[in-house]
Amino acid sequence: MKNSSQFKAPTTPWFAVRKELSAKRRSLLIAASFILPILLWSIVSYTPFIWHPDIKLEISADRENVTTVFTAGNHLSKEYFPGFVEAVEAENSEILAARASGESTNSGFRARRANLKILRHMAPVAIANGWLTREEAEDDSQLYQVWQGVAEGSLVGTKVKLSDQNIALIKRNWELLSAKSPTFVSKSLPETPLEKLVPQGRPANPVYLPAPHEVVIQGYHDFTQETDPDKPSMWQRYKHSLRIVFFGFMLSAFVGVPMGILCGTFDFFSKLFEPFIDFFRYMPAPAFSTLLVAVFLAHDAPKIALVFLGTFFQMVLVVSNTTRQLDASLIEAAQTLGAKTFTMIRRVIIPGITPNLYNDMRILLGWSWTWLVIAELIGVKSGLTEFIETQGRWRNFDSVFPIIIMIGVTGFVTDQILASLRKYFFPWTPESSEKKHGFIGRFVLWMLDRKVYDTPKNGKA
Amino acid sequence: MLKLKNWAGKATRTGLCALALISANMLSAKEPLKIGYSDWPGWVAWQIGIDKGWFEEEGVDVEFLWMDYVASMDAYVAGQVDAVTMTNGDALVTGGTGKPSVAILISDYSNGNDMVVAAPGIETLADLKGKKIGLEEGFVIHLLLLKGAEMAGIDPSEFTIVNTPTNETPQVLASGAVDAIGAWQPNSGQALKTVPGSKPVLTSADAPGIIYDLLSVDPESLEARRDDWSKVVKVWYRIADFIKDEENIDEALEILSKRVAISPEEYEPFLEGTYILSLEEVLPIWKEAEGLGSVYGSTKIADDFNVEQGVYDEPLNTVQYLDPSLTLEYAESVK
Repeated sequence: MKNSSQFKAPTTPWFAVRKELSAKRRSLLIAASFILPILLWSIVSYTPFIWHPDIKLEISADRENVTTVFTAGNHLSKEYFPGFVEAVEAENSEILAARASGESTNSGFRARRANLKILRHMAPVAIANGWLTREEAEDDSQLYQVWQGVAEGSLVGTKVKLSDQNIALIKRNWELLSAKSPTFVSKSLPETPLEKLVPQGRPANPVYLPAPHEVVIQGYHDFTQETDPDKPSMWQRYKHSLRIVFFGFMLSAFVGVPMGILCGTFDFFSKLFEPFIDFFRYMPAPAFSTLLVAVFLAHDAPKIALVFLGTFFQMVLVVSNTTRQLDASLIEAAQTLGAKTFTMIRRVIIPGITPNLYNDMRILLGWSWTWLVIAELIGVKSGLTEFIETQGRWRNFDSVFPIIIMIGVTGFVTDQILASLRKYFFPWTPESSEKKHGFIGRFVLWMLDRKVYDTPKNGKA
Repeated sequence: MLKLKNWAGKATRTGLCALALISANMLSAKEPLKIGYSDWPGWVAWQIGIDKGWFEEEGVDVEFLWMDYVASMDAYVAGQVDAVTMTNGDALVTGGTGKPSVAILISDYSNGNDMVVAAPGIETLADLKGKKIGLEEGFVIHLLLLKGAEMAGIDPSEFTIVNTPTNETPQVLASGAVDAIGAWQPNSGQALKTVPGSKPVLTSADAPGIIYDLLSVDPESLEARRDDWSKVVKVWYRIADFIKDEENIDEALEILSKRVAISPEEYEPFLEGTYILSLEEVLPIWKEAEGLGSVYGSTKIADDFNVEQGVYDEPLNTVQYLDPSLTLEYAESVK
């Protein structure tokens, strides 16, 4: 390769076999690996001509004698939606015809109730346009004001534009409403049936792929909304789930690590325990779920037991394997110096395997996270999984995504933190001495010793 | 050696301590009454009593455990709950195959909320001949299907039953794996919603009284703590009156819909299909008679069905499963 001043300094190629890229490029790629999926998700969500087979309702209506209730936010297929609109329009013309001929079908409470339901169908429009907050929209008298505002033209939709047909209809309804009372009084709602708002919607992707902003908004709402006192808030659910993983893992470590060390040290224990454990670990932990519920009854015990079962057997085998890999010369040296069996375990084997044990534990902790969702489904459902289950069943996937992402982030962040701490716990291991301090590590070092960067030390003490 | 002895002694002591703790737990004087309940609207109604603190007011300590329907019956059989909400037909199934129970109150009868929902293009129950129906085999909804088939003059062996947990039915219908599903609200409604164009081809409104919904108690618990169970009955009628009062409809819907995590608007139609029974309405149903107008007659019919279906071999003594005395005592006390 020529390298004279006439030529530009050659840039290192992006694709070089078994060569590390520069630090800048590495961080760029790491960022891209997260940004690309989100970008792809956004493209599919926000370009209307890509896919979008459904209509997402912005305004819905009840139909007579049909128990299926569609609410704003529900998805209907593009084939089904026009039929739904026609059905509501047909009912509206019946209402007008009946009104003209002076016959009334319902009376008293039922008629008022039906009209109240029609009033409340304005709520999603009011929320989307920012006229009311979610809490205010539950207040019928506030909604009444919205009807007035729309009818008199002082409120004009920006996010959800009401069709001309609906605006005309709202004006006709408001005449009836205002004739009875200018403000909301449930007893003085008209008993004449009002016309129903005609359903409106916008193209949307299937319900299982909500748009990114919907996920963010719904996630924020789920985490901040007031829950009733006897139901766990999202943070309590989160803590509950963390507790199950933590206790299951801790119990398993409490028993599994000593057992693994014994198996790795003495052939006696290895032959006594490992064959059975080897056989047992092939039985899938969830298969024991009903058994665990029968033994430990409801609540957290069977769930913790399931995480334990799922982690314990792997743990014993992994730890015993790690123990066996300890450098034999260390043991010989200790024996030469006259160490007894117990001293050997205490002073040589345990300290010797700790760095690798730490790594094993990190990986096994990730392993126990995988059991969480199954564990929380057995017995009385609980924690984050219960929420995922119920919301998923009602197809509110915009509520499900934030939770799934949160579980992922929790696992990922924990793992990254534990991985970066390894360097400070076990600075003598070769992997650690080669690793450069990360940003946090540098900061901590500087906090401990302000002079640490005064003289260049090439990163080595 | 001495060390080892010491260690063994310690271990034994710890073990004994743990045992003592466990047994102390088991023998503790007054455990709360544990009641398993699930998502049928007539049972979700208990939530009103829980949320409003009426059990505390009556001075009875209860713990309600929310589960899937079949899981709640399993929990009852396993002895994890003292009582469970189930239908009169399923009380027999649970008794014939696991553990007997005694119904101390009838909360409601199903009046349309139990349905067989068929995929688009299927208009009647007869169209389902030779097709797959996903439902919980041997339980209430299966009984409804058989009853419906009998009324329509169809041989039920022409249906292919696919055993499906009720709360999975909406997804199963949507997946096209079956041609119809059997479920109750809120699951049946969810199925109707998930598959636009699907429709109910049979509902419990076609055979009102085939399904009565009960609170069934473990006979031992009933004997030992009858007073507490009386208080539970008392709370129930407070709940029933609350729901049946039109003024409370929004507040009731708020509590009920929250429990099953759907919106109050969606929940409202369910109140039509689950007929909550007030004290006056339930008294004639508790009278022994033939036919679906009496819980005894209805349970007898369910028993015959179960034997016919081979759920269990011998007819049960259905009278043992029903105990109107607590309701009657309460009725006397409020006269």
